[in-house]
Amino acid sequence: MKRRSFLKNTSLSAASVITAPYILPSGRLFAATGDRIVNHVVLVLFAGGIRQQESVEQQYIASQNGASTTGNLMRNMLSGAAPTSNLQPLGNEGLWDPIQNNSLASQGTLFQEVIYQEGPPGHYNGHAVALTGNYYPNNINLNESPSNPTIFELYRKHNDPVQSALNAWWISEGLGPYPSLNYSQDPLYGSQYGANYLRPASIFAGSGQAQLGNAQTYQPDDVSRISKIKAMLDNNFDQSGNGLPGIENTPENRELIKGFLTNTIQDVQNGMLDLAVPNGSNFVTGDLINISSAWTVMKEFAPELTVINTANLDVCHGDFSQYLNFLHRADYGVGWLWDKIQGPEGAAAGLKDDTIMICVPEHGRNWVTNNNTDNNGMRALDHTAENIAQLPDYNLPYTNSRRIFTLIVGPEGKVVPNQVLGSPGNPVGESIDIAPTVANILGFDENIPAGLLPGRVLDEAFV
Amino acid sequence: MKKQFLFLATAMILILSACKKETTYVNQTVVDNYIYAVDGEELYQSNIEKDKEKSPEQYLSILYTNLFKTTIDQTDLLQLAEVRRAIGDKQMADELILNGFVNSIDIELPTDSEMRADLDQFVENTYIRFFLRMPTPYEIYELKDAIESDAGLSPELIYQGFALSNEYKFY
Repeated sequence: MKRRSFLKNTSLSAASVITAPYILPSGRLFAATGDRIVNHVVLVLFAGGIRQQESVEQQYIASQNGASTTGNLMRNMLSGAAPTSNLQPLGNEGLWDPIQNNSLASQGTLFQEVIYQEGPPGHYNGHAVALTGNYYPNNINLNESPSNPTIFELYRKHNDPVQSALNAWWISEGLGPYPSLNYSQDPLYGSQYGANYLRPASIFAGSGQAQLGNAQTYQPDDVSRISKIKAMLDNNFDQSGNGLPGIENTPENRELIKGFLTNTIQDVQNGMLDLAVPNGSNFVTGDLINISSAWTVMKEFAPELTVINTANLDVCHGDFSQYLNFLHRADYGVGWLWDKIQGPEGAAAGLKDDTIMICVPEHGRNWVTNNNTDNNGMRALDHTAENIAQLPDYNLPYTNSRRIFTLIVGPEGKVVPNQVLGSPGNPVGESIDIAPTVANILGFDENIPAGLLPGRVLDEAFV
Repeated sequence: MKKQFLFLATAMILILSACKKETTYVNQTVVDNYIYAVDGEELYQSNIEKDKEKSPEQYLSILYTNLFKTTIDQTDLLQLAEVRRAIGDKQMADELILNGFVNSIDIELPTDSEMRADLDQFVENTYIRFFLRMPTPYEIYELKDAIESDAGLSPELIYQGFALSNEYKFY
């Protein structure tokens, strides 16, 4: 960062001599994108509660009593050899060959010990911390948006030039509280700066297929006629639906998105959705549907900010084997997504070599198992604030649920490759650092009012 | 499930009744079979009386009933509520849902020629069907003028406009 800051400041100083007449009253140049590292960020909240033991530490089943097999289940994201025995947790599909020839960790920077410093290690809290860059000391009400502005609102309000919601997407697996994360309760921000939220599994499959599979599409003339009638009626009624909160796209963008959703539903009906699974596999988890669908959004709209999550791994509360299985599949999905971004379709969408992807769990899981045992005799794990003093063989100053990692991968010359930072007990980076890092990559971090983001930029990752 | 819906419908009628000072009754068959619809339907005096917003489930179930003249199946209602929740732009979600409804073979729509054969009746029926009130003279003029000046304005498109209007989201 030092070198990068120096170069940035030097460049700005030189540029200011030339472009001083074009400096806006705000103090920013017209071309704010000059401060950017890249023009697209994909944040993968690799969520559901993933332990360091089964991810970066590559212990596989070695934490289970009586088991000793180790190995790397995340060969797309992490460097290391796969387990070679006791593969029954991976079911009939077994191990999938990685889609990445070289792990993403070798292509980028792995913060292998990051800390989720404060607040309950719950899914909604964990998501909210990553997306707002602030810790919440208590459980957030699941029916409410967070109190601090989300990264979507910060981007849409402070990026220069201002961008529409077509450039900010929040694509989640699982409904529950997650739709509430596309904007906050902060009165200075809110829905007008929110992201386009989408839960693909509800739209492209299941309910969406049943209810929207035969949806009428209208030509622009007819859309205009509908709008005219609505406007005429609205003129005679002095209230609007403020009680039904949601973000609003421009009419033009709304039509674009409607067309995209309708076409994608038809693609799914016709078996044409590009799925994040190896050829010949029929094992499609909800996480993989989410990642696959996110790619359809990205190649269609090339958003500047896309946030995706996984959630299926939370099965670990009752089924450790399935957790390992889903972890392996979700890793494939992340590798597949990066492969798409860097492939011909990504190039056509302008994403190739202009995208940085950040992968981070929302929190970890416990050190000690609960009482649930799966079909392979393995004990399950919750995610709570365990009392360290009561944990056998545990010697870190923070609980296991607070241990996470962060992987940052991007174009050559922008992201430092093959770099590993942090170690157990010596974390580098926190959950609250994700939001300022995203803001820094997209070049609007300096426009954000002081105090809103207490974290720092994970600048070690950038050249 | 049917009981639950009848309960909701009954509750809605009570709520609607409770917030009105005067009532008007019309004896028309146009609103037959529709959720609140019995001959002698109780109508709003004006849209000023509508000051409560429908919940998403109320909006969807009433919309379904308005278009199909039958109560919505509970499974459909749950699916529609899920679809609506899964899209952040609620206006867009409503439009997509409506687009799904209007392409159904079960929808009850007048034809374009039926509409244009008696515009006054169509306008009045449409206001009663969607807004549970009579149109004002200006509203009659306004909608008739819109239809007469645009041969491409079909009943389907007009129904879409009504279903997406702000007034339709209130009771």
